[in-house]
Amino acid sequence: MIPEPRADGLSPAAYRVVGRALPRFDVADKVRGATQYAADWQMPGMLVGRILRSIYPCARIRRLDVARARALPGVAVVLTARDLPRSGVEEDPTGAGLLRFTTPILADGVVRYQGEPVAIVAAASDASARAALAAIEVEYEPLPGVHDAEAAARRGAERVHEGRDNVFVHWKLRRGDVETGFRGAAAVVERTYRTQRVDHAYLEPEAGVAWVDADGVITVRASSQVIEHFRALAEILGLPHNRVRVIAPFLGGGFGGKEDMTVEPYVAALAWATGRPVRMVWGRDESLLARPKRHAFVMRYKTGAARDGSLLAQEISLLADAGPYPLLSPRVLFAALVVGCGPYRVPHVRIDARAVFTNNVPASAMRGFGAMQMTFAYEAQMDLIAHALGMPPAAIRERNFLRKGDRLPTGEAAGTYVALPELLRRAQDALGERSRPSGPTARVGRGIACNMQPYGRTVWFQDRASAWLGLEADGSLVIRAGVPDLGGGQAASLAQIAAEVLGVSVERIRVHVGDSALTPLAGGTFATRQLYMSGNAALRCARELRAEIAPVAAALLEAAEADLEFADDHVGVAGAPDRRVSLARVVAECSRRGVPVSRLSAFQGERSAPPDLDTGQGRTFPDYTYGCHAAEVEVDTETGETRLLKYAACHDVGRAINPQSVAGQIQGGAAMGIGQALGEEIALEAGVNLTTLFANYLMPTAPDLPDIQAIVLESGEGRGPFGARGIGEPPTGPPLATIAAAVADATGVRPLELPITPERVFRALAGRAGTKEGR
Amino acid sequence: MYLPPFRYVAPRTLDEAIALLREHGDDAKVLAGGQSLLPLMMLGLARPGVLVDVNGIPGLDRIEADGDAVRVGALVRHRAVETDPRLRAACPVLADAAPLIGNIRVRHRGTVGGSLAHADPAAEVPLVATALGATVEVRGAGGARDIPVHEFFRGYLETALGPAEVVTALRLPARGPRMGYGLAELVRRSGDFATVSACAVLGLDGGGRCTHAAVAIGGVGPSALRMRGAERLLIGQLPGDRTLDDAADAVRAEVAPESDVHASADYRRAMARVMARRALGAAVARAGGESRAAGPGAVRS
Amino acid sequence: MSAAAGAPREWPDRVALRFALNGRAVDAWAAPHDTLLAVLRDTLGATEVKYGCGEGVCGTCTVLLDGAPINACLTLGVHAQGRTITTVRGLAAAAGAPGTAAGDMHPLQRAFVAHEAAQCGFCTPGMLLTAYALLADHPHPTRAEIRTALGGNLCRCTGYTRIVDAVEACVRARQGGDRA
Repeated sequence: MIPEPRADGLSPAAYRVVGRALPRFDVADKVRGATQYAADWQMPGMLVGRILRSIYPCARIRRLDVARARALPGVAVVLTARDLPRSGVEEDPTGAGLLRFTTPILADGVVRYQGEPVAIVAAASDASARAALAAIEVEYEPLPGVHDAEAAARRGAERVHEGRDNVFVHWKLRRGDVETGFRGAAAVVERTYRTQRVDHAYLEPEAGVAWVDADGVITVRASSQVIEHFRALAEILGLPHNRVRVIAPFLGGGFGGKEDMTVEPYVAALAWATGRPVRMVWGRDESLLARPKRHAFVMRYKTGAARDGSLLAQEISLLADAGPYPLLSPRVLFAALVVGCGPYRVPHVRIDARAVFTNNVPASAMRGFGAMQMTFAYEAQMDLIAHALGMPPAAIRERNFLRKGDRLPTGEAAGTYVALPELLRRAQDALGERSRPSGPTARVGRGIACNMQPYGRTVWFQDRASAWLGLEADGSLVIRAGVPDLGGGQAASLAQIAAEVLGVSVERIRVHVGDSALTPLAGGTFATRQLYMSGNAALRCARELRAEIAPVAAALLEAAEADLEFADDHVGVAGAPDRRVSLARVVAECSRRGVPVSRLSAFQGERSAPPDLDTGQGRTFPDYTYGCHAAEVEVDTETGETRLLKYAACHDVGRAINPQSVAGQIQGGAAMGIGQALGEEIALEAGVNLTTLFANYLMPTAPDLPDIQAIVLESGEGRGPFGARGIGEPPTGPPLATIAAAVADATGVRPLELPITPERVFRALAGRAGTKEGR
Repeated sequence: MYLPPFRYVAPRTLDEAIALLREHGDDAKVLAGGQSLLPLMMLGLARPGVLVDVNGIPGLDRIEADGDAVRVGALVRHRAVETDPRLRAACPVLADAAPLIGNIRVRHRGTVGGSLAHADPAAEVPLVATALGATVEVRGAGGARDIPVHEFFRGYLETALGPAEVVTALRLPARGPRMGYGLAELVRRSGDFATVSACAVLGLDGGGRCTHAAVAIGGVGPSALRMRGAERLLIGQLPGDRTLDDAADAVRAEVAPESDVHASADYRRAMARVMARRALGAAVARAGGESRAAGPGAVRS
Repeated sequence: MSAAAGAPREWPDRVALRFALNGRAVDAWAAPHDTLLAVLRDTLGATEVKYGCGEGVCGTCTVLLDGAPINACLTLGVHAQGRTITTVRGLAAAAGAPGTAAGDMHPLQRAFVAHEAAQCGFCTPGMLLTAYALLADHPHPTRAEIRTALGGNLCRCTGYTRIVDAVEACVRARQGGDRA
């Protein structure tokens, strides 16, 4: 049963604003075409910035001569690595003191992936910028490079970086003794799973404008998930941190792909070098070619269970292809490590999670962040174990589901309610009656998959977010928060939270987001952290502001503070509808009495040291969001094509601040996972990208998808405002396993590799003769 | 969003266009709908110095049908092919193929002549033209000439057009009585170029035997190809399931596809059989014969 | 790159364009190689028309040319000469909505807001125009026909369900109106 919500003493019925499907203010702007995205910004005298990219995946740069390019008409500047004060910032990408690495902004002497930036130009027009790129003389000495992650991880493999092992991160998790577990198992299943590289494919390509402001501050207005990159930009330009400002306007999608810097260092450097505004917009081909992708994983799983289906042991080896630079790979691998066993109780666990350097396109953050790939493997293992034991897939899951208070493999307790039994039931029921095959060669199959996805950063990053709220003289409210809005309603949700507490109607709230100079820093929009962190910051700020003005309102109304109600732009007295004053009146009275009507507050997330590095035991993520998806597919056995007929996605979101936005996140996240399951792949051949067009990067279109039923459960238990859990990333993982299970159900052959292309299914069906097991 | 600079000219007559093409030779390209040429230019894969825009030349956008043939002007847009009632009546297979092309925007700009001249091996217009044994009308400095479609497509993105020749129309035989057609495509995603496509056209006599058989397969070679071996197996036969299966097997043996990022050669070969079989089934049903797998419109896998 | 001196009229460096943009005549100088997308965005400030791929695949640059949806990225500016171009900013007027206040929206736009059929909003202008053109040709499409018609406009945020919901809601409202 879903527990009664805690919700700060308020039952859901008592909320006036939270929980309502209010229209988002930003959507109204967007449907009118009014939103000014990064590439829409124009300034007088603005130059066009462009990047010269490596044509080879691995090569030494013998000669790089930009003299001819610099001399061309219309060309303002050409910069190479040597022209930047610093071509990169040394960082510890693990956050745990395990690695120091400087990722170059521009290649210096060697290129390590196809599309790596080699030089940048700013010119009067796109045509002259292109002419400048063509005039840059580069002499490459192509090298074979390292392109196979498994080969790169072997001892003695060719190295991507001289003096560094290719395996640059290796997280370990040890709990119990897996050998003991396997000895007692009635069934042991061992498989290797592979997931592919995919692209974020946000519709808005990377873009930004930089200029030197009147006060000498370098300002970068870019499509970015992280305005805190101003610090790295200052380091690169050799400037004090307070001389660089980053503005993130509303993004045309991010999904993790705008978490690392994209155009920012290039436009900043070009503006700094020329003193003129510079705009850079990447072509779709550049974006597909060279932007970091979702990691391709090789996942070896060995799972043992007792006769009654209880899981006894999991031995897991994970290898991710990071490309040539660490970027966020260590953190991606850590998330994979922590949820490697999925939302199940397992007494004996051994996991090794490694990332390896290659000369393939870099991999970094993408919605689901390592945790989502695991779903494909651990849920397939559950199905296979169930099959081996003669149990239905749902039954084995129900037997092993985590419950609140159970120990995770990291030794920490599951801290909030785990609604998986309800989620599973709701998702399965949502599919309704089984469809009939549409023809003689068609087979219909169904699958389910459950998952857990962390929200919030790992606790050793000591996360923090701040927000500023201020009432205006007319009773309207201003919110300032350094939150980049990716399109998920990040800004609108803050308004809805503040409206609940302060009684200002959402139409009278103006939200300013994403400006490192003018909005208090909130941390980036990633890791499903913004509702949790900034939502809590806004909630705290609203409550503190309310506490500040409540005595004034109480005095005006001659009522007790405890009896005040803040609603409909007024403060009233409970039970006395005619006793109320407008917020404007309260603000006026506050001014008269010298009571502040604005406030800056911060929310500090849980703080802890990194876990034990030999065993992975310790505190890791603040909490998790759980889900279950169910799918029905039809497979054409003649062609191997899989058509998705029905899809249901169910998540416990704790509390839905805006149920319509929450359902939208679930539908969109599921669609992204479905795309990865069935079609999308960044295909490389010896490091050369074969999929640099939207014409051959196969993300789903409207007719490819059925209606996605989003089912929102609210347990009231989450660590976000009003008991909310994060929902940005959680829906992306289950589709991989759900669809694989449905295809297995339809065909009798379990896909072990993504995407599940018609050709792979066709081959599997053709080769089925021998191996009957494996549903 | 930016094209490299080029010289642009919009002639008012075909003769003017031909003269310009002659003058500029390989450096010039004809611009019709632009839905294939402009992306290539955007990506730097084509870099003509001169674009000869034929969109303003009158008379090239007409659809004319008489009893025996349909003449589709080179500047007829795919969207018009899709929606023109006379064309649908006279040549339903082309009308059914049109909505499979790209997306609605591409169909509003892209032209029949452009599709022929671009000669993509997976494109729909060349496939149907091949199956119907159509004729491409072209005009050059030496005047007009007709090129049978099997001579028109020479290879991957290659045609028999001379450097100063322009496609003016596509002439297709009109659908006769007891004629049926079928289209089948394997696409990875709606609207994309087909991995493998098939178009079958069958004519039956009063006794239900095949008097005419044409099977064209796209995506398995440098251009859409007629399957002569399969056709021979059909002529004179009652097109029952067994006969169609045999013909489809012959298609499988007859194609010699190559592998690419989307599909291996083996898979393409296998799918050529499946698509051919589906197209044949639909063709027989429409011609009034009997076979499984006949549905309205194109069979889209 | 530039026309030779004394070149015939066929080799213009710049063309004076005049066309109707959202119901108003506009003038713009354009080079022949300027795409309609570049003319709209850079010269006329119509930044509601987006660049998404430059291949004609994604649909973010969709505009209506004499009412027909086209790829502005794969159409030359000169092809708009003397014709009418509609962007998403022209939809409210196209609906015959009274007045020109910023709040005025076409019913499709209102449905997109009500159903939260936009998230990041980058595909939204193109999606709306495609839906608008569909309903102009085909006033009562089924849900499946709506999906097919929107097949050329990619969306990465919504999974399309809400977009289809919004268009369908418009169709339903219109059918209700027809019956009344």
